[in-house]
Amino acid sequence: MSAARPSALRYLWRHNRPALIGFGLALMIAGFFAVRLTVFTIYWSDPAHRDQVIEGWMTPRYIARSYDMEPDLLRAALPVSADDALRPGATLSQIAADADMTLGELVAQIDAAITQARLE
Amino acid sequence: MTETILALVPVYGLALVALGTFLSCLALPVPSSLIMLSAGGFAAAGDLVLWQTATAALAGAVLGDQLGYQIGRFGGRLWSGRTLPPRRAALVAKAAALVKDRGEMGVFLSRWLVSPLGPYVNFAGGAAALDWGRFTRAGIAGEIVWVTVYIGLGAAFADDILALADLLGNASGLLAALTLAGALALWLRAALRQRRTHGAHH
Repeated sequence: MSAARPSALRYLWRHNRPALIGFGLALMIAGFFAVRLTVFTIYWSDPAHRDQVIEGWMTPRYIARSYDMEPDLLRAALPVSADDALRPGATLSQIAADADMTLGELVAQIDAAITQARLE
Repeated sequence: MTETILALVPVYGLALVALGTFLSCLALPVPSSLIMLSAGGFAAAGDLVLWQTATAALAGAVLGDQLGYQIGRFGGRLWSGRTLPPRRAALVAKAAALVKDRGEMGVFLSRWLVSPLGPYVNFAGGAAALDWGRFTRAGIAGEIVWVTVYIGLGAAFADDILALADLLGNASGLLAALTLAGALALWLRAALRQRRTHGAHH
């Protein structure tokens, strides 16, 4: 078998080159994903990395759910009328833009409201 | 990039979810897993409605599969006029027969377990003339699993969407690459066997 192997490879290289190259590439890609999977597993198993920081893509409802608080408690921190701010689908970036404030200012207000709610 | 997509999901909602799964079934580089996970998260938060989100994702995926199958069928007709060297033609015929006879399981599993291969299985199924009814039934069953798993995980673990997207994305990439390597290994083994039988004649 060991004597047959080089000639088998040579045969495949000559007659089935695309499949042989594809096989090698598939193994390389598998290695690539195996490394990434390992790295991400290590990264995300650190609880500190899973603490979500409030970001512009989030909606008030999403934040309320993430921080396990009533959506109503967030209203005070939002610059627009409560109904409008809690309308489904508005992200913090949009709410901040509508209110002519920076995202940073809005996030600071929400952070304060969350801290306040947790103290009460 | 990730955050741009996350910001689009609550704004464009169901249309984006359906478009995402539709395009990803045609081998276009759309992060449909991230879209479905986050849509599940936004549904859990109350920005979207869970059953509507799942229905939109399923509709997009099933339509995308159908279009991919038709593209494959059309491509297969063009291809059938080509002449290949006899040995390779025999291998291609063998692969096509495999898809035609046992393609359903491949269609089902490539919807969710090795989803990166899904679009290519659509093309291959159409090209090898896998029965349309069987393709469709296996495809819908698989897409239901895919949509339920991703939107369900997104809803259940809304706080960990980014972690889920990273882990699931790489795990399914790894599985898909290993599956592809396995399939090509079988192909190469068949080619070597053919050489032996041919060699016996010389």
